[in-house]
This record gives sequence, structure tokens and C-alpha cells, in this order.
Amino acid sequence: MHRSSNDRQHFIRVGVLIIISTILMTWMLKLALPLPTKASAQAFTVDRVLDVHIVLISFFFSLVVVFMLYSLVVFRRRAGDTGEGEHFEGNTALEIVWTVVPLIVVLFLGYLGVRTLNTIVAPQPDEITVDVKGFQWAWTFDYPEGGFTSPELVLPVNQPAVMEMTATDVLHSFWVPEFRVKQDLVPGQTTHVRFTPVEVGEYKLRCAELCGLTHWNMLATVRVVPQDEYDAWMTEQAAKADTAVAGVVDEHVSD
Amino acid sequence: MSLTSLGIIRGFIGQIIGTLAGLALVILLRLALGIAPVWQPELTWVIAILTGAVGFLVGVGAVTDWFKWMVGIETPLHHGPPVGKPAWTRYFSVDYNHKIIGIQYTVTAIVMLCIGGAFAVIFRTELARSGFQFLNANEYNTILGLHGWAALFAIFIGIGGLANYLVPLMIGADDMAFPRLNAFAYWINVPAIVYLLMSLFFGGWDAGWTIYPPLSIKAPMGIQFVLLAVFLLGFSSILGSLNLIATMLMMRPKGMSLFRMPIFCWAVLSASLIQLTATQFIAQVFLMVSFERTLGMGFFDPAAGGTPILFQHLFWFYSHPAVYVWVLPGLGVISEILPVFARKPLFGYRWIALSSLAIALVGFLVWGHHMFTSGYAPYLRVPFMLATLLVAVPTGVKFFSWLGTLWGGKLSFETPMLFTLGAISVFLIGGLSGPPLATVTSDLNLHDSYFVVGHFHATIFGGFTFPFVAALYFWYPKVTGRMYNEGLGKLHFWIMTPAFWMMSLGQMSVGVMGMRRRIADYDPLLGNGHIQAVQMVVTLSAFLIAFSILLMIFNFFHSAEMGRVAGNNPWRSRSPEWQIPSPVPEHSFANPIQVVGEPYDYGLPGSTYITMAPVAGDD
Repeated sequence: MHRSSNDRQHFIRVGVLIIISTILMTWMLKLALPLPTKASAQAFTVDRVLDVHIVLISFFFSLVVVFMLYSLVVFRRRAGDTGEGEHFEGNTALEIVWTVVPLIVVLFLGYLGVRTLNTIVAPQPDEITVDVKGFQWAWTFDYPEGGFTSPELVLPVNQPAVMEMTATDVLHSFWVPEFRVKQDLVPGQTTHVRFTPVEVGEYKLRCAELCGLTHWNMLATVRVVPQDEYDAWMTEQAAKADTAVAGVVDEHVSD
Repeated sequence: MSLTSLGIIRGFIGQIIGTLAGLALVILLRLALGIAPVWQPELTWVIAILTGAVGFLVGVGAVTDWFKWMVGIETPLHHGPPVGKPAWTRYFSVDYNHKIIGIQYTVTAIVMLCIGGAFAVIFRTELARSGFQFLNANEYNTILGLHGWAALFAIFIGIGGLANYLVPLMIGADDMAFPRLNAFAYWINVPAIVYLLMSLFFGGWDAGWTIYPPLSIKAPMGIQFVLLAVFLLGFSSILGSLNLIATMLMMRPKGMSLFRMPIFCWAVLSASLIQLTATQFIAQVFLMVSFERTLGMGFFDPAAGGTPILFQHLFWFYSHPAVYVWVLPGLGVISEILPVFARKPLFGYRWIALSSLAIALVGFLVWGHHMFTSGYAPYLRVPFMLATLLVAVPTGVKFFSWLGTLWGGKLSFETPMLFTLGAISVFLIGGLSGPPLATVTSDLNLHDSYFVVGHFHATIFGGFTFPFVAALYFWYPKVTGRMYNEGLGKLHFWIMTPAFWMMSLGQMSVGVMGMRRRIADYDPLLGNGHIQAVQMVVTLSAFLIAFSILLMIFNFFHSAEMGRVAGNNPWRSRSPEWQIPSPVPEHSFANPIQVVGEPYDYGLPGSTYITMAPVAGDD
């Protein structure tokens, strides 16, 4: 029994299938896209935006795929049938709908993007400043407060931090996947990235901009520690730096 | 018949002579002027590359007619196979027939697709497991960059193939507007390909296909070969698109208004407008890198007073619109093939036509989305985000119109239709993974991760590779007069499509786990240690895709001899090229055609698209 293509039955079935498919797709995409732990305050915002995207992707994917697969099954040519399909050339009202609705969706995404971007890049009071240098193929971290340089990035938990970054040779990029923010380091220019670590632990800073031979291995350890541990580390490092400076001075004197 | 009667052999001889002459010229000049050292490799090679390219074009004969004109010798267009040589030799020599040139482009594109794909398979094998297997980091970086440019050459040349073969046939024209320019635009690709591949033997390069400075300023000398190869390819783009635009605007038959062109022509027109106006930017910026390396002009290296971000603006001002050059013709193929197998009119013809133009125009305003993390003024992120998201609107119009075309049809599933549907599914994956990258907030995490690799490949496979394959199967009987093997074609589809879905999802998955793009080795602990399994899936998928492409090539070779005779119009299409014999005769249309109806009125009783004037003396 053949139904006309504008039979309401088709649209009811497709609608139900789209709803089921959207729910399944959302669940599957979350499984297929396993984000690392959220270790910064920014990560929560970034992941919320990605979640909105995943739901929208699931819906629009289902919308197109369900309509397509349904057509392939229901409107397939039966054996021996050499006739033509139904003749309709378009529908202006439909075209306007599927121009305007996506327009509203992307404007909403744009609005969401601007709002959340402003949240995650906003300067915070009491930021710890670290001067980050990237070069082929390592990182150093200057702590202006302590007056020393460290090969690892150590930050106290729950304290906003700002990286003041520059590169000495080629482009590099600051990315700790658990923090979810990224910023290139540009020779001859200072760039910034802000985040607030919220989970104690050890992470890896990974250079995300192709920077030559051993780009793959341009890593640094990032440790997020409780405040007291951080204070102790700062004191220890500053003392080490002082002895080193003193040592240099001593050597000069003894010369 | 001697080998040198083949144009391409004479071209290569010319290229070798030109290269040697260039090398000698610089060395002798430096000797004469007393400049030490006499052997300055990079500068010398740059000159030799340029003289070598000229040598090729002279040798192959792509400029012969123009030189003859300069001295007052007339050269009437020669039609038909060359006199006194086998017919096949015309495919290896300069020929002015657009169908020959179209086939030259298409076969070259398939060769480049295999080369680009082979590079991918090599480094995907390396990435199947964590740790270094058989490539070192420099080899990995070079092959990675070469994969990019070889594949992009394949795409540009493949689009040239489809457009050159099909556009004149679809508009009932005898040939392209400028046949000699057409041949020149094809042949300049050949020395470009030679130089691209030669980069391997000059130290390779480690800056990827985007060659961001300052890294590209410091890269090994191989990069010069890439810079100039791309420059030559750009010549081909500009001249080819000029020719196509002129052909479509000036040579349509009576009754074919722009809105009655086959829809593929709209896609080519939109892509050509981009190529004609934007290619200059990449030519310029690649030359600037070349100059900075050889002549020490400080455009981009801050140590010499330059700014690295300037390169990114100039590069993406071309390279983003270029993405639409790669996909618009493919989307045109989808719109062209769907109505034939749905036996229904193309839903919303004008909306699809204008959406191509809209994508082409908005495409000029979105380049900054490649630079959200680059360090340009932060407020720039907002307008670029909004403009980028807007691209989703005309793209959505295409998807929904395709669904409207399928709905209520009488669908059959021969190989071209399968690949068209596969293209829609894959381009959907590419398209929908775009907004998370267009939205700055989520991009700050995903940027430069393997997620981008997944998004990009889905976009390009859905927008170019799948439609290109669909087009090869669809027009194969028109070109050869024989049918490909349907069983092998379907097997190709059922291997390649699921493999691609797995690859795409796998790439995005490892990206979200924290895998960066363009790394020679990765941390096996990412994704709680699941990354290795997913990488293996991606690599196996790459192998399956490569195997399926070889299956297609075998099918085409085999069927050219053994396939059953296809007849003029095996798909019952209304398009002009199917109303003439297969293979298409030397002069495609015995008599001028006239358009008397809409192109896609399948199912409207008594309607016709074109009429052909009766052959003289036929009444």
C-alpha cells in the first residue's frame, strides 16, 4: 500500500524516530568523546558549551539522517517500476523556515559563545602571575614574586593564575587539556592565558602548535598543590635561587 | 614512434635543461661578480626551479602557439588525434580539446590522491602504536606536510578535471572559451607536482602544510620546493577559473538563463569566483616566505623586524575560502546526481544555487576562526565567530533541499547514488563538528587537537572525495562508453564508507582525550589508556579506505576493456551531456542545442530540457 509523500503518517513516524535518535546520539557522543577531568574553573564553562553543542549536533544529525534513511526505505524503487517520482520543485515556505531556524540557532550559539568567553577570560583579583617562556623544545616558568625560574609549573589550588607568555624562537602553544584553555606563544609579543586550577594533581603542559623536530615531546609538568605546600615550595625555590646567586657572587669574589 | 614524440617526455627534458641552465646561470653570475661562496644552494635552487618550470612549459609545447602568434604565424585549432601517432598519445601531449584536458586533470588527480593517501597510510602506520616504530621525527613531519599538499593538489586538480570535462558539455558549448589557456593551466601543474615531491630529497620540511613562520623561515631547504610548487599550482587555479567563468557567462546556448544551468555549473561558478580573486593571497604570502628565506627580507620573523601573525592573516584569507573551492563543486555533484536517482526535480533549485554563492561570499569573512588562539587582538574573536557560524545557514539549506529531493522519489541505489548518499552522511559529520570549533569557548580547548583533524577530513571527504568518487562512477560510462562493474563499485562503497565513519569518529575522540595534531608520537596514557585502541581503529580504517580506492582503480581499468557497452544515457538523465553519444565525439554537439525547459523536471509529463537542432539534411 503506497502512501503519498505528504501523508501525515510519515511525519509522525519520522518525528518519533528523530526524538529517539537524538537521545541515543547524545549518549553515544558523550561516550565517544571522553573529556579528561575538569581541573580548572574554566573547564566547567567550556564543557557546558561543548555539551550544548553535543545536544544540537545530535538533534541535527538525527534530523538529516532519519529523514534520509526513512526516504531510502519508504521511497525506494520497487522491482520492475520504471516510473518517475512525485513532481514538486520546491517549497518557498519550507526554505524560509530552514533558513530562519538555523539562523536563530547559530545566533544563540554566538550569544552563548560571547557570554562564556567573557567569563573565562575575565581578569580575577589576586591573580598569581607566572612568566612562561617557550622555546624549541622546552618550557621555563619565571616566578616574579619569588625571583626564580622553574622547569615545572607549580600553582596553588583555587587561586586564579595568569600566564604572561612569550616564545624565543618559533610559535608554540600553551595547552593543558585538563584546564581546557589554549593560547599561542608568539616571538616578539606577549600573550596571556588565565585559569583557576580547582583540582590538586599532576598534569602535563603540551605544546599545541607545530614547532619543529621534537614538537611532540615539548612537555612540562604542571603541579596543582594545596596553598601551604605551594608556599613551602616557593620558599624553598627562592632560597635555592638565592644560594645560587650567592654562589655566583662568591665565585666572583674568590676570583 | 619515439618517446620524444610524447609531449610530457619533451616537457621533462625541457625541465631538466631549464633547471641546469638556472643552476649554471646563478653560479656563473656569482663567479663573474666575485661573490663568495659561489655555491649558495637555496638561492641557486630557487632560480633553477623557476627556469625549470619554464623549461617544462616550453618543452611540452604549452606556449608554442603564443610564440608563433608573436611572430605572425597563425595556428588554427587542430581537432582530433595527432597526425601520424596513436590516438592515446594525445593524453600525454598538449591537446586543446576540453574533454582530453578534463581526463588529463582527472587522471592526474587520481595519481595525486594515491600519493597523498600513501603518505597518510605511512604515518598512520607509525601512529598505530605509541612510541617510534619506523619513522623518525623529521621523516614524520615531512611526510605529514607532504600528505597535506599532495592531497590538496589532488583536490584542486580533481576539481579542474570535473569542471573542464563537464561544464562545456553541460552548457552545450563546443569547448572552453580559451582552449590554449586551458592546456597551459593543466600543464603547469606537472612541474609543480615534480617540485612538490622533490622537497623530500632536499631535507624535507617540518612546518606542516600551513608552514607558519618563524618555523618555516628556519625549516630545511625542502620547503622552497613546496613554496614554489604551490605558487605554480596557484597559476593553474587562477587561469582555470578565469576560463570557466568566461565559458559559463559567455557560451551558454539560447534559452539557458543562469537559473537554467545544470546545478553543478553554479557550484563551479561560485568556486571559480573564489579561485580567481583569492589565490593571489597565498601566492603572495608564499613568495614572501621564499623572499624572506633567500633574500633576508624581514616580513615575518620578529628577529628581523617582522610579525608572525601577519602570515596567518594572509594565509587564511585565501586558505579558508579555498576550503569552499574544494567542497562547493563536490556539493554540486551531489545536487546533480540526486535528482537522477530519485527521479524527481531538484528541490529548491534557486535556493541551492544561491546558497553556493552565499557560502562563497561569507567564506571571505571567516578567516580569523583559524586564529582564535593566535594572539591577535582578543575582540576580533567575536566577529569571526559570528561570521563563521553564519556559514551553517546556507550549508543547512543544501542539506534540507537534498532531503526534499529524496522525499517522495523512486530511489534506486547504483554506485554513484550510494557514494552521493555517503557524501551527504560524511559531509554532515564534517559540518556538524564545525560549530564547536567556530564557538570560541569550545575552540580554546579543541583548537590544534586531533578533533580538528577529524572535522577537516570529514568536511573534505564529504565535500570532495566522496562526491568525486560518485562523479567518477556516474560519468564513467559517458567518458569510456562502457559500464563499470557494479558489484565491485558497491563493494568499494561498503568498505570505504563505514571505514571513513570509524576514522572520523576515532580522530575526534582522540582529540578530545588530549591528543594534539601533527605530533610524531603520543602519550599512551591519554583517555585513561584507551587512546591506543582508538588509534589502531583509525589506522585500520585508513588502510581500508586505501584498499577500497585501489579496488576502484582496478574496476575502471578492467571495465574499460571488459565492461558492457553503456549506451548514450544509461541513467536516463535530462542533462545535455547524456543526450549525445558515449564516448563523446570529437565535436561534442553535432548541432547547437536550445534550452526549452527546466533542467530537473523529472516526473513532469511531456517536459524536455533541451532540444537539438536537426542535423542538416535530416528532415
